[in-house]
Amino acid sequence: MTEAKELLTGNEAIVRGCVDAGAKIMFGYPITPSCEILNGWILQADASKDKTKYLQTEDEIAAGFGVLGAVLAGEKSFTASAGPGHILMQDPMAMAENLRLPFVGIMMQRGGPSTGTVNFSQQEVNLAAFGGNGDGMRIVYSASTVAEIYELVIKAFDTAWKYRFPTTVLGDGYLGKMKTTVTLKKPLNPVKSEPILKELKESTNLRNCYSTEESLGEVLAKNIADWNAARYKIAESESYKTADAKTLIIAHGLVASAAKGAVDMMRKNKIKVGLFRPITLHPFDTKSLISALDGVKKIVIVESSLNQLARLVKYELAGMKLDISEVAKPAQGFTPEEIINRVEEING
Amino acid sequence: MDKIMPESWKESTKPHLFCPGCGHGIVMRHLGNVIDEMKISRDVTLGIDIGCSLLSWNLFNVDTIQTHHGRTTPTMVGYKQVKEDRIAIAYMGDGGGYAIGLQSMVHAAYRNNPITVIVVNNENYAMTGGQASPTSPVGMVTPTSPSGKSSEFGTGFHAPEMIAGIANKNAFIARGTVTNPIQMASLIKKAIECQKSGNFAMIEILSMCPTNWKTNAKQSFEMLKEMELLYPQGEFKTGKTEMEQK
Amino acid sequence: MKLQMLLAGEGGQGIQTIAKILSRAAANAGKEVSYIPSFGVEQRGTPSLAFLIIGDEAINYPRFDVADELVVLQQRAISTANKYVSLNTTMIFDSSTINHRSLPKIAKKILGAPVTKYAFEKFTPKSFNIIITGKLSHQLGLDKAIVWEVVAKTLGKKLTNPEIMKATKAAFEFGYDLTFEEENFSEPSYLPETSQIVMKGFGKTAYINPKSCKGCGICIEKCPVKALAFGETLGVYATPVPDIDLEKCIACGNCKRFCPDAAIKVDKDKKA
Repeated sequence: MTEAKELLTGNEAIVRGCVDAGAKIMFGYPITPSCEILNGWILQADASKDKTKYLQTEDEIAAGFGVLGAVLAGEKSFTASAGPGHILMQDPMAMAENLRLPFVGIMMQRGGPSTGTVNFSQQEVNLAAFGGNGDGMRIVYSASTVAEIYELVIKAFDTAWKYRFPTTVLGDGYLGKMKTTVTLKKPLNPVKSEPILKELKESTNLRNCYSTEESLGEVLAKNIADWNAARYKIAESESYKTADAKTLIIAHGLVASAAKGAVDMMRKNKIKVGLFRPITLHPFDTKSLISALDGVKKIVIVESSLNQLARLVKYELAGMKLDISEVAKPAQGFTPEEIINRVEEING
Repeated sequence: MDKIMPESWKESTKPHLFCPGCGHGIVMRHLGNVIDEMKISRDVTLGIDIGCSLLSWNLFNVDTIQTHHGRTTPTMVGYKQVKEDRIAIAYMGDGGGYAIGLQSMVHAAYRNNPITVIVVNNENYAMTGGQASPTSPVGMVTPTSPSGKSSEFGTGFHAPEMIAGIANKNAFIARGTVTNPIQMASLIKKAIECQKSGNFAMIEILSMCPTNWKTNAKQSFEMLKEMELLYPQGEFKTGKTEMEQK
Repeated sequence: MKLQMLLAGEGGQGIQTIAKILSRAAANAGKEVSYIPSFGVEQRGTPSLAFLIIGDEAINYPRFDVADELVVLQQRAISTANKYVSLNTTMIFDSSTINHRSLPKIAKKILGAPVTKYAFEKFTPKSFNIIITGKLSHQLGLDKAIVWEVVAKTLGKKLTNPEIMKATKAAFEFGYDLTFEEENFSEPSYLPETSQIVMKGFGKTAYINPKSCKGCGICIEKCPVKALAFGETLGVYATPVPDIDLEKCIACGNCKRFCPDAAIKVDKDKKA
């Protein structure tokens, strides 16, 4: 287990995570702020003397379907993209959702909609969880630090291959490009991959198109049952200083890191505030959220998007009488100080 | 009971779901024969598109993956990157191949990805009701060209010719027709051998669609005769077989 | 008054054409109508259903769970059709292709009409759906002339030949005037052949699989000596299977080479 401190960017940590998870091939298309993942993977692949491989494709759609081809062949494979490229990923991800393929994608959120900015946002939550033409049987992780994105990338491969739902790790442009001191915890026993087209005497014949409503309905019922059985094993969150909190901030990703800073500073001033941080946005860790609500008078949802986190939260809390405020700043980040100001405004 | 169908066909899923008189059936039959002859049914993975080709998802006793429309080529490219020793076939129609999927086919040729692409060209989007496709000839009446396909859209989409221009010198690029099944089978075989030699192969096969053309057998062959004049058959790039490479 | 009629048959049988004609005719007669097809991506080989609703008031949902009248025209469609049967359902079936014993017993009434037999014996095989259209028009209380006008318009180009027009009208009127069998149903005699046909002669053996033959006619077209012609045996979609004249046949292999369904071949017998 490596415990030494390193100076790494988020994108570099992601490449390390994919290598340490046992990924064998990456398909990608250059798009800011994820390019360094493709560049970095290719550098290590060339140095690995073909033990790991790559293909720069003609577009993100081809990259996504390349991942599906590799996964069908039985190798851990992934792609990385952002914004407009993340939109194009919906085509292959929908096929993965129907066929239960362990697609892994790392999406570094940037301002949207459309070309927006290349920098930062949290506006791709809906896309990651519910994009495509299905009902969203997809797993979404949200990383809040460089160290965490390394861990979540490895976890994404494990979860995808174990439960067979397409899995996205959400980062953002700041996380991708910030250089920071980290200690990477190498994984133990990554989940093994296996060929999905099994090469047996009785062939494996897979389809995603059905003739009747009922036959598709059967497949979906099974997928939903599997999702429901697995959701609480997959769902994860962090409850930070929530035990006696009267105000609960809910935030994810890098915004949650800033919120942590805000919580610490407010606690120094004896303000009883805590942070609930979903690590999986989908499936949502509802049970932990409900526990964290004990004694809470006000909820403040903070996100660099408009309502995308808030909708997920409110769905989980439907029917409960709660005082919820939404602090939304699409495509722009929050410093800890700004979060403190907004919370104080709300608390009056 | 004497067996008429190829060994590599799955008996339990017959009759297959292609329409009566569909050219796909003739192609599938000879693809099956080639697989039997080359003894590669355990080595082939067949990718198929969305369109009428999707109906073949359980036709063969060969690993088969039905992908999305226009995405069979990139899926098989990815598959072959991992499974270098298996034979990856990407099978599609003229819509999936030359409209939505053209970009990926051109790039697979450009990179010389060692896969075998088979495009069955029946000059329309058959599954969705016969709409005009890139290869539909001028004047063809379809639901999206009710007064006949305009010449503004070009006089005929010659994809193998175009792709031959961008493909590696060792690629195999050809066009055949279901009216000459012996030649067609030989093209399929060469296209697979070219993949085995490490190069890209693509063949287009002129075919018929009696359902959307609203033709009987005789009329289907008459229409194919005209197609054969518009789309010349032959080898545009002859590739190198495994034997020659050694 | 609202009538929910479900037509169930094989894809490619013309179920949708029948429903289109009846819905157009009912609309022309001043009724409120809704019609929606239900089928999979395949053109053939799976059940084709038509949900037809005819009433006096606006209809808000095109499908229903229970049919007032359920018309079944192919044996393979019965299991799908069964889902829509209740104690109040009247079942109408083609007694020349369906065994009445395989129909659900709970239906209120069972009415048979051997339309395929009449089509083969009195008209042309393909006219069976015009015959049933005639009968169903009468069943729905629609005026013969109004419906015929719609039939003529729908079939349009196919009826330009005056002989064909005359024959089609005759089939329609025959159907309109048919009486249903309410008991003593005809025995189904127009069923697809399930065993392989093997014919020997003139030093050759021919094999034909009716279970795979869809009656496309390509083998007939491609035979260089015209040794093949449509025969009387029915294939899997109830279309005629070719008959082979082994004397004319030269065992060139064309029929096998061109058959999209691998349903036919001729082998030269090995010399002893």
